[in-house]
Amino acid sequence: MTAQNQNRRAKRYGMSIDIDKCNGCGACMMACAVENNIPPLPEAANDRRGVTWIRVYKVDNHRPYPERRIAFVPVLCQQCGHDTPCVHVCPQQAVEVDPATGIVGQMPERCLGCRYCMVACPYHARYFNWWDPKWPAGMEKTLNPDVAPRMRGVVEKCNFCHGRWHAAQQKAAAAGKSEIDPADYVPACVEACPTGALRFGDLNDSSSQVAQDAERPESFRLLEKLGTEPKIHYRSQRGWVREIANAPRPEGKDEARG
Amino acid sequence: MIGGKIAFASGMLVALAGGWLAFPRILYQTRLQPVNFSHKVHAEKAGTKCEDCHSFRDDGTYAGIPTLDKCSGCHAAAMGTTVAEKNFIDQYVTPNREPQWLSYAQQPENVYFSHIAHVKLGHVKCEQCHGNEGGAATLRPYQRDPISGYSRDIWGRPVSPIGLRTEGGMRMDDCVDCHRRQGLEYSCMGCHK
Amino acid sequence: MTTTRRNLLKFVGGGAAGALLTPAPWRLITDTALWSENWPGIPRPARGEIRARFTHCTLCPAGCAVRARCVNGQPVSLTGVKPHPISHGALCPWGIAGHHLPYHPARVRQGPVKEALAAVARAMDQRSAGERVAVLDLRPGRTVSWTYRRAMAAIENGLYLAPRQPAYSIDLAAAETVVSFGAPLFDGWGTPGNVFAARGNFRLVQIEPVESRTAALADMWLPIRPGTETAMAAALGGETTIAEAARLTGVGEEAIGAVKEAAENGPAVVLAADPSSPLMSLNAKLRALGRTVVARREAPLPEAWKKAAPVTEMAAAPDGAIRVLLIDESLPGGYVPWQEIEPKLAANAVVVVFTSTTEGYARHARYVLPSPVYPEAAEDIGPAIDTVGEVFRIAAPLLAPVVPVVNPGEFVARIAGLPQSDPLRERADAIHQAGRGALLGYADGKSTPAKEVTADNFWKTLNQGGCWMDDTGKKAAPGKLEFIAAGEPPHDELPLMVVAAGGRRGGLAPPLMSKLERESNLRMAANRVALSPADARSNGIENGGRCLLETACGRLSVVATIDAGVPAGVVEVAAGPRIADLCGASPRARVVRA
Repeated sequence: MTAQNQNRRAKRYGMSIDIDKCNGCGACMMACAVENNIPPLPEAANDRRGVTWIRVYKVDNHRPYPERRIAFVPVLCQQCGHDTPCVHVCPQQAVEVDPATGIVGQMPERCLGCRYCMVACPYHARYFNWWDPKWPAGMEKTLNPDVAPRMRGVVEKCNFCHGRWHAAQQKAAAAGKSEIDPADYVPACVEACPTGALRFGDLNDSSSQVAQDAERPESFRLLEKLGTEPKIHYRSQRGWVREIANAPRPEGKDEARG
Repeated sequence: MIGGKIAFASGMLVALAGGWLAFPRILYQTRLQPVNFSHKVHAEKAGTKCEDCHSFRDDGTYAGIPTLDKCSGCHAAAMGTTVAEKNFIDQYVTPNREPQWLSYAQQPENVYFSHIAHVKLGHVKCEQCHGNEGGAATLRPYQRDPISGYSRDIWGRPVSPIGLRTEGGMRMDDCVDCHRRQGLEYSCMGCHK
Repeated sequence: MTTTRRNLLKFVGGGAAGALLTPAPWRLITDTALWSENWPGIPRPARGEIRARFTHCTLCPAGCAVRARCVNGQPVSLTGVKPHPISHGALCPWGIAGHHLPYHPARVRQGPVKEALAAVARAMDQRSAGERVAVLDLRPGRTVSWTYRRAMAAIENGLYLAPRQPAYSIDLAAAETVVSFGAPLFDGWGTPGNVFAARGNFRLVQIEPVESRTAALADMWLPIRPGTETAMAAALGGETTIAEAARLTGVGEEAIGAVKEAAENGPAVVLAADPSSPLMSLNAKLRALGRTVVARREAPLPEAWKKAAPVTEMAAAPDGAIRVLLIDESLPGGYVPWQEIEPKLAANAVVVVFTSTTEGYARHARYVLPSPVYPEAAEDIGPAIDTVGEVFRIAAPLLAPVVPVVNPGEFVARIAGLPQSDPLRERADAIHQAGRGALLGYADGKSTPAKEVTADNFWKTLNQGGCWMDDTGKKAAPGKLEFIAAGEPPHDELPLMVVAAGGRRGGLAPPLMSKLERESNLRMAANRVALSPADARSNGIENGGRCLLETACGRLSVVATIDAGVPAGVVEVAAGPRIADLCGASPRARVVRA
């Protein structure tokens, strides 16, 4: 770090997600796939083999009808800030935490596909390319030039739409600035969310909406007891939703599974 | 017995010579550029600077190697007497066909590089990375590794002094070296997509 | 040194040892790895200049404003337009990947156009007296709908058919209490951006048997016994007692009382899953007519168009009288079950469908002609159910059709002998001439009075994603509202009530919907049903197992999911043409193990 860098305070990009606003529409999942050149998978894919960098899960309070209540929880890479599990286990050093942004960056070109990181990730936020990316004929014309397609055999995950961060930096550089304008860097999922449940910003910037949301009493993170210090802050007024984030053992066999 | 040792040693020598001397030569395919273009002539006689043809678009993206319309602007008719220019006009300008230039520094798909950040914020001169192209009378041949598909300039440590270019490398190591020397922080995702 | 085999092997061994000490093998390994990253079949994104283009989405009547990021003119991603006063920058999951639709692998790519034209002409000539030529317009309210109506007026015994459209609009911003009988307010009703922008102003009471996405976010969810909505409406309207309603519906008296009070005391609106349901008459009792339920208004028309055929509903068409039927299924949305159409067809009727999907009327029609898909064709979008005031929006095409398509409007105009024209331009000129309202700019939402813009600029701005709006004028109460009676009562053989899950409509869905339907289980894919654990057990059906959905109209092979959120006595289905043909007017079914 030199004088040049000390002027630039490191950012810690994170998100705040309001579960009480999420209607489970899935617009975020679609926008993510469009932005990051993720193809629709072949017929053989199911929800175990799908590649969904952000995935909305439906959770419920395990009560019988009509006391049963549901909620939708979008789960993406939590960008763990402490003892990042995937960084620890990767034999190839294909993942690293970017000190300038706090984003956990996955390098498909270094990955050899051992999937150890998928085992290590407590949030199931990492996805393996079982198949080579194949788009229906003609649809490859709609690929985003800011993101490189990955080949089969490598793991990939959310990187907070890094292509957009690059584009924001380029725009700032064109104007002669070295700091990006926060309004220029919005990940695809946040931009697409029609209800406003997803918010993105710099957690180190105390004036940002996301940093303020993180301080609210009803705010929580997934599996906080693991100490991974995730940067995605969820919030809900409903107690049973907050309880789910601690992954309590279900009482007895869950009848709803059938 | 000694015959066996000689056999082993000679096998080893052949392999070493092949690997260190012959392999670098045969590994690369060499191709010539479609047009025998002279940067020197354009810099001296036409007085053009790098950015006159290799320019930035309004939104800050880099236009790279100029397209045919840039050249046709001046060369609609022959401006000199060289055979190269005549060929160019006959084969490209008249039939309005784009020359398929071979870009030495074309990076792989997963690399993000912003010209404008380096030029405007980093104040990096063209010659620092691309070498003194402006002074070259011809375009050097394009060398390509046929297995990976990459240009010689962007991948592979120089292993033998034969055929070595000492300046203007565009390998990841060259980028990292320069960033280290400037004291700039660099992360994987800063340059990769 | 003699050349023995041993010496040869030693030579080779020495060569191998030596080779390992050279860069050659290591370089070849890394090169092979690099080759595997770039091997053929992995497409490279195209490079080029990046520009934004603006248009509107035609996948549903909301017509949300769209900003397309285009590389060398090819759209690569779509987002909403934040400053837009109607859609507020929201797009739904289907709209976000809409630019993939032209490349859908299951798209109808060709059809017998000449044969169809000849067959239609022949049938028109040879029909007997009283036999009709009909157009079934599944997305009425567009400018091309007026072309169909004019064409049917020009043909002798022409008939213009359309599914019933509500004659009212809902002003959500004026409501403080919304009582919704199963209307998917937060999952596909109206204009998503408009609904979420108004969310803070109203309390939502969602009354339905299954806890849908809307119920999950509502202020109150009343888990009503399936089929007892009329009893609930009667209590809310004061016709019966709350105790009676509680007994019949299974909802607590306190809850019903609270809803009744809220609905009576403030501007309220009642919504129903089917806009033509008799439950909507509750709005009159709650004095919502003219306040939150207002007359639906259409943008001005050229005078010459008003001499057009009237709108007829399928049920009102005479049986066995249609000799030529042209179905415009080019935009996803409405579907009239085939068993309602078939009795109206004459013997050897010629049925032509303009469509992009093989799942809809292509299963029934004689001639299947490929229509353009979004965003290939210029269209306009009629008002949505929550559009108050007049609007006119053009969906300008973002790319040329990638397969040879037939424009349904032009086909019908041709067979009717209408003169060649550009109806969208004529309509825009008529609106401009009316001299009122304002033109909204496409990128910034700034509006200019229409009077201050020339006709050419008006047309140009509309084609670049602009929007004309006129919300002046007093809100009128809607005219006489007509409703269709509700379905049949339950009976032993068909014990399950069919409830449609929100979101999915007919038509092509972008291939990326696999993310929501297959690669996760967020939404139900087509031809999927959800059952309660109790019903699944009693019918011997496993989670993910194949079974037969049977109704009075037929049966369909479906895949069942077990969902504890579905109460016993209900089967939740993902809407679509096959299911609509099956369930259509009779929402009673049973599920048997396949």
